[in-house]
Amino acid sequence: MFDIAIKNLFTRKTRSILCILAVMVSVYLNGSTATMNNRMYDAMTAELARYMGKIYVQQGGSSYPPFDSTIAQATAEAILARTDLGLNLEESAPLIFVRMERGMMPFMPAKAMVIGVPIGKENVLFGNVEATTGANRFPGTADDVVILGEQAANYYNAMAGQDVTINGQTLHVVGVLKRSSMESANIAAIVPLPTAQRLFGKEGMVSAVLLTAGNVNKVEKVSATLRQDYPVLEVTTQNDMQQEAQKVMRMPMFYMSMMSVTAFVVAVAVIMSTMVMAVMERTREIGTLRAIGASRRLILSIVLAETLILSLIGGIPGTLLSVPMAAVMQSRLPTPVQLTQIVIFALVAGTLGGLYPAWRATQVDPLEALRYE
Amino acid sequence: MDHIIETHDLWKVYRMDGLAVEALRGVNLTVEAGEFVALVGPSGSGKSTLLHLIGAMDTPTRGEMRLNGRGLAQMSDAERTRLRCHEIGFVFQTFNLLPTLSVLENVEIALRLAGVAGREGRTRATELLERVGLGGRMRHLPRQLSGGERQRVAIARALANQPALLLADEPTGNLDSATGQAIVDLFRQFNAEGQTIVMVTHNPEVAAQAVRVMRMRDGKLMGQS
Repeated sequence: MFDIAIKNLFTRKTRSILCILAVMVSVYLNGSTATMNNRMYDAMTAELARYMGKIYVQQGGSSYPPFDSTIAQATAEAILARTDLGLNLEESAPLIFVRMERGMMPFMPAKAMVIGVPIGKENVLFGNVEATTGANRFPGTADDVVILGEQAANYYNAMAGQDVTINGQTLHVVGVLKRSSMESANIAAIVPLPTAQRLFGKEGMVSAVLLTAGNVNKVEKVSATLRQDYPVLEVTTQNDMQQEAQKVMRMPMFYMSMMSVTAFVVAVAVIMSTMVMAVMERTREIGTLRAIGASRRLILSIVLAETLILSLIGGIPGTLLSVPMAAVMQSRLPTPVQLTQIVIFALVAGTLGGLYPAWRATQVDPLEALRYE
Repeated sequence: MDHIIETHDLWKVYRMDGLAVEALRGVNLTVEAGEFVALVGPSGSGKSTLLHLIGAMDTPTRGEMRLNGRGLAQMSDAERTRLRCHEIGFVFQTFNLLPTLSVLENVEIALRLAGVAGREGRTRATELLERVGLGGRMRHLPRQLSGGERQRVAIARALANQPALLLADEPTGNLDSATGQAIVDLFRQFNAEGQTIVMVTHNPEVAAQAVRVMRMRDGKLMGQS
């Protein structure tokens, strides 16, 4: 009886269109929250992957990135000088982090930052990210130079070979890096460590020391030693960062999930109210069908068919709209499985929204409908 | 002759706001196969109530009721629904066509409910519509038809599954006399072919065209002619 259901929906076009639009928006919202969750999760995973085998030493109580951390450069150098820790000194360095602009929401990463790294240690933080233009290394010993991440280049509106002004000082852009899976690389303006210290008045200070264990299996042991020897400092490994990131992400992801639940409830409510009105208006028709021999089960299936058709017609475009949303957010596109899940979301909302009106329809007595004026 | 319908001491009492309304009071009725019976009476006499009970759309308060020898009073809702689908055809005063379906589809739906779908259903529906004179209006919607035409569609729908019994509740009530007469003529035509018909009417001229007229007043059968 799908043909009857479709005819019923087409007869009441305005109501059907409004219901479809509501379902489309709800499904789109659900798909968007899934995309945003993907984005946050991928950003976190990519960021953390880089820190395998790494140890961050920074001021106790500070967060990551350590914008609010300050430790003495002498302390950092003393740690680097320790031979008992078995460090890979090529991949270890003191660093300065300065936030230039916050993210839109408190839990979102900064929009721009400056990172000071020792000359020759440009690869310590981000690995060998290649440059799209210019170089990914500081030339010689010049210290009034900067390497920009892809988004940082947009932020400062500068290309390789041009000058930018950071905190009142003019610096020469020697290179713009390719887009990295590490978000922090994309938003960073990387300057020589002494330049960063001078720019922001942090002479003799650094934000953190990034250490790389010579043996990745010794990370926990090295970090345990450092915690014991420097109790006022915070020693963070990749595991620690992951746990911290998950804690930080918990609230925004919960918020996203609540948005998804709200979208679902709205879809169910819209479908239910539309169909309840439709059933009430069609009491006479339903009674006639019952009078000429339609079973209650058939009546139920016609009403449920209408709700499922509304859900599908609204759900499929709503799902497909999630795809450009993912592109806008520069997130990976939803997988076929995720798209299918979003469509199923629409169908489940339709089924739940249609259950009560369908039940009401089955309760229509043929006799009452014949008396209906 | 076989009894199509038998009722014995049939009562129907409605309870409204604590008051009991006796719509039928001990009705004994038989209708033989092939009869054309008219039930006449003033408004509130119980004739429509009796028709609804015979048509398995309602259940009696007490008494016995049989259709083709089968007891109706004890049937479940599902059994009564099947009965209405296969063995009873109903024609309503207000036509009660489904507004979103075409004329042809309105007749076909009765066949689909009985499990006759596809080409066979379409063929039978087409034949019936041609018999009632609507062969050229099959794609029209009910709102595009006159009252008389809609009633003819309703008759075709009621006869789609070759029911044992055709029930008509004031079939000419919403029609002018000429159109109403055309509907009664159709009934007489089908009755001549053996269709058993019970028709409720308050119009004595319409009733007089049936083979047997039974009068009702105050929930009781008063007599017949």
